[in-house]
This record gives sequence, C-alpha cells and structure tokens, in this order.
Amino acid sequence: MLFNTPQFFLFLAVTIALFYVSPKPLRRWILLIASYFFYMSWNWRFAPLLLSLTAIDYGAAIWMERVTSPRGRKVFLTLSLAANLGFLGFFKYYNFLAGMLAEALGRDAHAFALAIVLPLGISFHTFQSISYVVDVYRGEQKAIRNPIDYALFIAFFPQLVAGPIVRAREFFADYYQWAPPVSEERLRGVLWILLGLAKKMVLADQFAQIADSYFQNLAVHPGSPAAWSGVGAFAMQIFFDFSGYTDMAIGMALLLGFHFPTNFRRPYLAFSITDFWHRWHISLSRWLRDYLYIPLGGNRHGSLMTYRNLMLTMLLGGLWHGASWNFVIWGGYHGALLGLERVFGRKKFQNPPHWLLYPFRALITFALVCVGWVFFRAATLHDSVYVIRQMLSWHGKAGLIPVWLACLLALSLVISLFEERTEWIERLAHGPAWAYVAAVVMLLFSVELLGVTEKAVPFVYFQF
Amino acid sequence: MRTVPVLLASVVAFAAMEGAVFHTGLYPWILNVDASTGDLEAILRNERERPKIGPQILGIGDSRMLLMPRISNQHTPETGYTFGTIAIAGTTPRAWYYMLRDADPTARLYRAIVIAVESYDDADTWSNNNDNESDLRYDIAHLRWSDLWEFSGSYDDPALQWKAARGIVFKGLVYKRDFADLLLHPVDRFRLAKLAHRDSFAWQYGYTGPPDTLADFHVDWQARTITAPPDADQRLVEGLKFRLLFRLPPETGDQSRYLKYWLDKIYQRYRESPTRLIFLRLPRGGFVRPDQPRYNPHSSVRELAAQPNVTLIGEHFFDSLEKPELFRDELHLNGPGMVSFSLMITQEASRILGPPR
Repeated sequence: MLFNTPQFFLFLAVTIALFYVSPKPLRRWILLIASYFFYMSWNWRFAPLLLSLTAIDYGAAIWMERVTSPRGRKVFLTLSLAANLGFLGFFKYYNFLAGMLAEALGRDAHAFALAIVLPLGISFHTFQSISYVVDVYRGEQKAIRNPIDYALFIAFFPQLVAGPIVRAREFFADYYQWAPPVSEERLRGVLWILLGLAKKMVLADQFAQIADSYFQNLAVHPGSPAAWSGVGAFAMQIFFDFSGYTDMAIGMALLLGFHFPTNFRRPYLAFSITDFWHRWHISLSRWLRDYLYIPLGGNRHGSLMTYRNLMLTMLLGGLWHGASWNFVIWGGYHGALLGLERVFGRKKFQNPPHWLLYPFRALITFALVCVGWVFFRAATLHDSVYVIRQMLSWHGKAGLIPVWLACLLALSLVISLFEERTEWIERLAHGPAWAYVAAVVMLLFSVELLGVTEKAVPFVYFQF
Repeated sequence: MRTVPVLLASVVAFAAMEGAVFHTGLYPWILNVDASTGDLEAILRNERERPKIGPQILGIGDSRMLLMPRISNQHTPETGYTFGTIAIAGTTPRAWYYMLRDADPTARLYRAIVIAVESYDDADTWSNNNDNESDLRYDIAHLRWSDLWEFSGSYDDPALQWKAARGIVFKGLVYKRDFADLLLHPVDRFRLAKLAHRDSFAWQYGYTGPPDTLADFHVDWQARTITAPPDADQRLVEGLKFRLLFRLPPETGDQSRYLKYWLDKIYQRYRESPTRLIFLRLPRGGFVRPDQPRYNPHSSVRELAAQPNVTLIGEHFFDSLEKPELFRDELHLNGPGMVSFSLMITQEASRILGPPR
C-alpha cells in the first residue's frame, strides 16, 4: 500500500475516522492495529519479526532500568543492539558479505547467496529502536511500561517505512500529552499531505522517467549534457520523492495529533556540503551524530580523530542506505567533502556567504552533490565511473529534461527561495482562507494534470 | 480559520475549476487535432456545424468506413439525400454510441445512420474490445457523470474500470497527455487549434485517399506466401501477412457480447425515432482469405435486423470492391476504391430509404 494510491487514502480516511470516533482508551489500539495492517499489507510474513524486535527492545529497556549495576545495564544494551543489528545485518548485508567471501575464496559470487526479501522499513525502525534503548541506557529516556505504547512508537504507520526517524522522547511527549490538533494544524496537515503528493507524483515521478531512461541506457545517451541532465534528474527525483514522502508523513501525523520533526529544509539551496547535511534527511543526520559520531569521540580528541570519526560516520551512513560498494563510496565521498570543508575553515562553510556569492556557492554545492548521486544511482561502480567521465567530457549536445519540466523546476525553485525566506507554507494555514484554498486547488490541479497517475511508482527510500 | 469550511471551500473551488475547464467545451477547443481525442472533437464539431439542408444520412465506423460525402453529395439532386460522416480511425461501437449521442442529441436529425461493421458474424478479434482503453480517450469530452457507472462498468478489466471511472470524474487525468504536449508547444498548439477550427472541415471532406494499390502483390494460399514488389514497404508486407496468413483469432464470444451490448444501445436510441439504422459489412480487403469466420445466425447485427427500422445491406454487396487494385494496404481502400465505395453506399442507402418524403 503506497502513500500515492487511492487504497492508502481510503485506509488513512478510515483510520482517522475510527481514531476520532473511538473512546480515548481505544485509540492507541486503533493506531496500532492500523499500523500493523499497513505493515502486513506489504508482506504479512514479517509481522513476527517486527513484533520480536519490539518485544526484545521493550524488555531490554525495562530490564536496563531495573538492573542497577552498570555492567548489567550494558549486557541488556548489548543484547538489544545485537538483536537489532543482527536482524538488520542478516536481511540487508548477508548477501553483500557472502558475495565478498565467495569472491575471496575464488568461488562464484552467488555461491553463498540466499533469496532474502528485505523487510519493509527495517533500516528505519531499527534505528528508531536503537535510539530508544540507547537513550534509556544513558538515562535520557524512561523505559516505556505499556507494551502497546512502545509497539505503536515502533510501528506508527506514517513513519514506519521511511522515517522521519523519530526519537522516543519526541513521540511520547505528543503521545502522553495528546491533544486533538487545532484547526490550523489540521489545515497544515492536509496541506503537507497534498504538497507531498504533488512533489512525489508531479516532480519525482516525472524526473524518475528521465533518470531511469538515462541510467538504464547509458550507452544511448553519451555526452556531458545528457549525463548532467540524467544525474540532475535523479537528484530531483530522490529529493522530491523522499521529501514528498516525509511531507505526507508529517501531514498524516499532524492530523492524528503528532508532531514529527522536519526532515528536509530545501537541501539544494545549501551553500556547502556541511550546510547540505543540515538540510538533507535531517533525522538521519541527527541520529548519526548522536548515536555514532559523538560516541566515536566526535571532535573531542583532536583533528585527526575528528576526521576519522567524520569519515567513519559517513561511510556507515552510506552503508546504511544499501549493501553495495557504491553506497560506501557515496558515504566516503561526502565524508571526504565534509573533511575538506573542515580543513579549509569550518565557519566558512557553516555561515552563509555574502548574498552575491550565494548562488555560486549553491551551484557548486549542487554540482558536488550530483556527483555523489552518481554512485547512489548507478547500478555498478563501472557505470558510476562511466557517468562521471561523461559529465566531465564537455562534449555532446542534447540534454534530457523537456522544457516544460525545466520550467516546472524553475517554478519550484522560486517557491523554495520564497519558502526559505518566509516559510510561507507553514504560515498558509494561519493566513486568509482564499490563499489556502488557492494553494490546495493548485496542488490538486498539478497532481491531476502533471502527475504520473498511470501507475503508482514506489518511493525510492522504501527499498532502504 | 475553521477546518471544515476551508477544506470544503477548497474542494468546491477545485471541482468548479475542473468542471469549468474540462467538463465544458473550453479545453476540447484546444485539443491537438493530430491526436485521437482532438481528431474526434474536430470531426464531431464539423458534423455539428455542417449546414443540414434536406434529408441527411450519416456514416459512422472506423478507419475503413471510407465514405466520401463529397462524392455522395454530387448525387444529391438525384437521390435527394445529403451525406455526412463521423467515421474515425480506431473507434468501435462503444465510442460510436457516445459520438452519436453528441452528433444527434434528439435522435431525429438523420434519415439514416449507416454503420460500417467488419463482419456480420461477430467474428472475434485479437483484442477484447471491452477492454479497449482508447475508447475512454476518444469519448472523454462527451462522457457525463451519468455515464460513470455504465461506461466504466463496460470494461472487463477492473483496472480499466477504475481508470475510466476516475477519468469521467476528473477529466484532466485523461487529457493529461494532451496537456503535456500543450505545455511543450503552447504557441504551435494554439495556432493549430485555430487552423483546425477554420479548416478541419475542408481537411476531412476534401480527403481523396492515396493512389497506392496492392496490384503488384500476389498471395499463394497453398504455399501460404505473399509475393511483394521489391520496393514494397516492409510494414505493409507484415500487415498483409498478419491479416491473411496468420491464424484466425479463437472464438471467445467476447466480440459478440460487446457488439450485442453497444449496437443494441445505439438501436435503443433510435428505436422510437424516424431514423433508420443501415448496417453494411465492409469490403474485407484486396485479398480475401479462404478461411472466413463461421456463419453466426445469432450475431448482433443479424438479430438487430429483425427490428422494424434496421436494415442490413447485403453481406456480399461490396465484394466487387475486394480487388488488390482498389486497396492501399491490408485494410483500407485507396482513392479509386473510396470513390466506388462511396457511390455504392449512396445508391444502396438511397434505394433502401426510397425517395425523401
């Protein structure tokens, strides 16, 4: 059940209706049943896995609180982490590691391979679980006593499959002091859902067609303009796809009285790679910082260790996206760029430049990000190298992006620039009714006329 | 702001704008006449705007219904009838029903409707016409909310039923491809639309058909081979092979079910009217394969022929046109073939109807 299907909207409408007509004590059950229904609509066989992980982390956190000795606490933390990372490792990385082992032993690359289906959203709910048990271990979060509450935190359907990665204290702050959303929040919720849907169906899915046609037929599209437009199309696809999904998740949560953190802040307006990571997949960056970079030592042990920690964090962040060397290289590439920016002066890349320089810096940053996306999207390392060579070849004539889509992109850039300054989308629900109505009508028209509606295209991040 | 009134206002505003643009003649005005939807709109507009002096006969069918009203109307002084046509390539009886509803809203405008069908035996085709998606694109401008159930329900495939249903409600979803093309070439489109409004009648009624023939082609039914001239278009050869040598489609009854439903709907529209429905079987081609579909005494047209205001032109009436020199490809008559075909229809339809009262 994809977010961009009528079935999902029916499911959402029924869930919201049942949630609000039910007596308060039943509401958590409604959300939990709906969330498991949503999860099982993909593949019911993985429900026991989700339940087991939930049970392990729920138990581990309670035992961590009960046991007073630091060693005992560590044992439960280790058990929980081993279970989470064990499942994640098996489902996501077994074949990758088995392939490497087979090659090292001179066997066929698939000699030890297993037919593994990746459970939906495992990377996201695993990270969410880890953040919870680590927070309990650190004493920053009380263990949740009610198993239903904890199960809902892990399985909550708006963010179950692709985030944002919500922390327990954020979720339970809303949950335990739940109040029905006020009128502005409801209107904002609807607007976020429509905005996300438009981003996904109008922009991401249109750009996906260009990116797919380029990356699936590299030899057919030689030359620099084709390469830049193919990679640029993927850059747009992944941004509008993922941020569209997140907008929808935020909107749905708002309608149910929950407040999810911002996950994207116009990342392609970033003036440096450092700035980019403050704007792109913010909940993952925050997780990596708090549960990997800082525990590794962060920047507390001198420059060399800082660079090492930065690189390790980004390499693992890359690997989190998928079991392939391409993702590792993508992470390493960003780690190297972040390291370079530190070398050349941290402040220079943290504070916005003069407004006259801003467009150039933003353009350079975007180009560097695009080079990274090549590794993210290309099927093999060989393909990645080929595409980068084409990008730097400076020959060829035709780009792949049609004029109308380029115009649409220019319009969305203007909207983003305006949003960057005024945050008008957030304000729309507080403004005059006509402005809100006009925005909704525009979004609906754009989905109707420009959206890819022939088939529901899965979200890119669902595969992670 | 209160949620419900604002959301309600948003929905109403969207519905009003969608309705104003797509459920009226506004968007169809600028449809691309080089595409199926726009072509159909131009043809129907031509028919609506054509001056109708004296008793009228209207032809309908697919691309093989090559009635040339220009030829037929040269004989109006003798026959007393004026001919028009709304035949369009790729359409089938489902599309014809909605086209006729638009061209003839009172069901009393014509003395006769001449409907061209491929077979009097409801011979099955390789594709299930129930699931002909293009009907939605052809008819979209003429579908109403009241057609929602019947039109979408007429598809067998649930995915197409859903597509048709949402397309009737949100017509922009069906116009999407045309709209994308409009965005790509807005100036050209407006220019073409203007031109089509001015000249499409002349384009349609002035069409003379190509002179190409199949005279240099030979079919050996024993050896199951086709001999083509060396410079023959390969697609034409393949088309002939498929039409003449490939096995006949299996008898599934799908076509009969489809035709019975939609031809009967057309008949029901004209049941109480003075309009006669005249069916003709199209000439089968420049070469006629020996293994013809089985005779079906209960086919849709044969059963309709029992009704008082329905006439079937003799099944073999156009056999004399089934010559290679009168066809340009495996299906379509060439220019001279079209002239003969038009004359034969003119004479036979006039004979069936008798002198105008």
